[in-house]
Amino acid sequence: MYQATHLSYRIREKILLHDVTLAVAPGQFTAVVGPNGAGKSTLLKTMALEYTGYHGEIVINGRPAKAYSPRELSFVRAVLPQNTTVQFAFTVEQIVSLGRHGYRSSRKENEAIVDEVMLLTGTDVFRGRSYLSLSGGEKQRVQLARVLVQVWEETLYPRYVLLDEPTSSLDIAQQQHIFSLAKKVCERNIGVMAIVHDLNQAVLFADHLYFLREGKLVASGAAHDVFTKPIIEETFCCRVNVYRDPCNNCPYIIPERDVLAHPLVVEK
Amino acid sequence: MNLALATRDYRTPLILAGLSVCLLVATLFSLSVGAVSIPVKDVAVILLQKLGLFRNVTVEGMHEIVLSSIRLPRIIMTILIGASLGVSGSALQALFRNPLVEPSLIGVSGGSASAVVMVIVFGSALPLPVNGWLYHSLLQLVAFGGGMLATFIVLELSSQLGKTNIAILILTGVAINALAGAVIGLAIFYADENQLRTFTFWTLGDLGGATWDKLRFAAPLLTTACAGLLFFAPSLNLFSLGEAEAYHTGVNVESTKRRVIIFAALAVGISVSLSGIIGFVGLVVPHVIRVSFHSDNRLVLPASVLGGALLLVLSDVIARTVVSPSELPIGVVTALIGAPFFMGLLMNAKRKHEL
Repeated sequence: MYQATHLSYRIREKILLHDVTLAVAPGQFTAVVGPNGAGKSTLLKTMALEYTGYHGEIVINGRPAKAYSPRELSFVRAVLPQNTTVQFAFTVEQIVSLGRHGYRSSRKENEAIVDEVMLLTGTDVFRGRSYLSLSGGEKQRVQLARVLVQVWEETLYPRYVLLDEPTSSLDIAQQQHIFSLAKKVCERNIGVMAIVHDLNQAVLFADHLYFLREGKLVASGAAHDVFTKPIIEETFCCRVNVYRDPCNNCPYIIPERDVLAHPLVVEK
Repeated sequence: MNLALATRDYRTPLILAGLSVCLLVATLFSLSVGAVSIPVKDVAVILLQKLGLFRNVTVEGMHEIVLSSIRLPRIIMTILIGASLGVSGSALQALFRNPLVEPSLIGVSGGSASAVVMVIVFGSALPLPVNGWLYHSLLQLVAFGGGMLATFIVLELSSQLGKTNIAILILTGVAINALAGAVIGLAIFYADENQLRTFTFWTLGDLGGATWDKLRFAAPLLTTACAGLLFFAPSLNLFSLGEAEAYHTGVNVESTKRRVIIFAALAVGISVSLSGIIGFVGLVVPHVIRVSFHSDNRLVLPASVLGGALLLVLSDVIARTVVSPSELPIGVVTALIGAPFFMGLLMNAKRKHEL
């Protein structure tokens, strides 16, 4: 389990996260949704120990996160940022191999893992090309591959992947590709936590959903249970309708055309 | 199927070996040319005799003296400084995630030079014999401190949310260089007339005046700094993804950053205290290596050691021969090569909307 309990984070007087309790289970896809500025990225960066001035507790596999060294952390969790800019002309394969940095395993083992993940993510076809020459979707898939090789090896302990809006500027096919890959890696005793912008994608892929607004949790639970009209309307302050897909029984939303006449009052 | 893997594995040692051979040839050539021309064969024989071989072959005594007391310390200093400038350039570029970074452009060299000049001119009050080993090591220490201070200032000012703001980076370099120029100018103003010529030394560099005495402490320090930077090549690869990404992948970001800056400032500072500011070596060399081969720092850093030395040895040959028997300041040669190159890089950055 990758758990955060009563997590709060503030920069000077500004409260960015307030009393958030969240758990990412291995083998499951956990999605965090919420409006812009709700603190989703802050939550992910705090969970990743990128921000250290938090209050509350983060525990990874039963051990307090602060007790891990950066290298030990890299064995249990990998992070995919929204976008990664690279200034130098690395090849795709070099970028993916960077994920193996912390490991002392042999070159042969590393290459086997890199090959396997590149094949799975469909990045093997441009392995020798310069990263700078790729399209946005291809770049993001290469970065996902880099993140996956970091936690790919089957170990006795569960590993976790944190994705920060991995599909924010991608078309629908690329989005589907990234999320289905993330869903697939859950089978390897990996827990995935993703910040997802598209609510329909979120409920389609996630096992668990967390709704975040103004740094506070609005609701959380099994995806199909909490994906309801009142919770979504309260979180996003907009009017929507929730339907169910008759084929797979998965809920989906369609936003209404008119904005709320009386926006929900924001609690301070 | 694994063609890319195979080529990557075998290329790095081959490239490094090739560069080493080029450096060796250039070194022998450089040792043979000058006011007294020594045949390359004799150069090789004298060098091997120093290692205890070919004792029975006789060479002209004058050649031996010129070589061992003038040219040999100079070439060793040239190689060490070129290597230091090359590798610290590529390490700082990786650290700042930007190919425009260069020790003299971002002010590291200027910080070192102004600190040294201050000590030389105003340090006459110190109870130290000028040109003693203690005096030289004090100068080197001060150069190191000045370089480190400049690097920290640039890093602090130019980093925004873990990314480098290139415009601020370059402008900070302009500011520090202006300040360094003013400090050097001021020091020279208070210096006696005889020291006026040293202004050229500090701003354009000079490889003359190399002695075994100066190298006694500088050589081990420069070697340590270069070796220390090479050690960080794998971590610096992660830095090119971003500081947060490097941290996520298991790099101890703050300590790596601090150590790379200390080693780079050591390499640049000691070099500056020996030869003044020699610009553009750290800019041109890593770039040429990246364009010709690839960007993996496990190649770029060691290749910059060899390439930096090679470039400086060749520049020194040019500086010594084109206006012979006089000598051009070495910085004139490297700037003539490097400045147009820098403009090219800027144009490239502009085209990609990075400025």
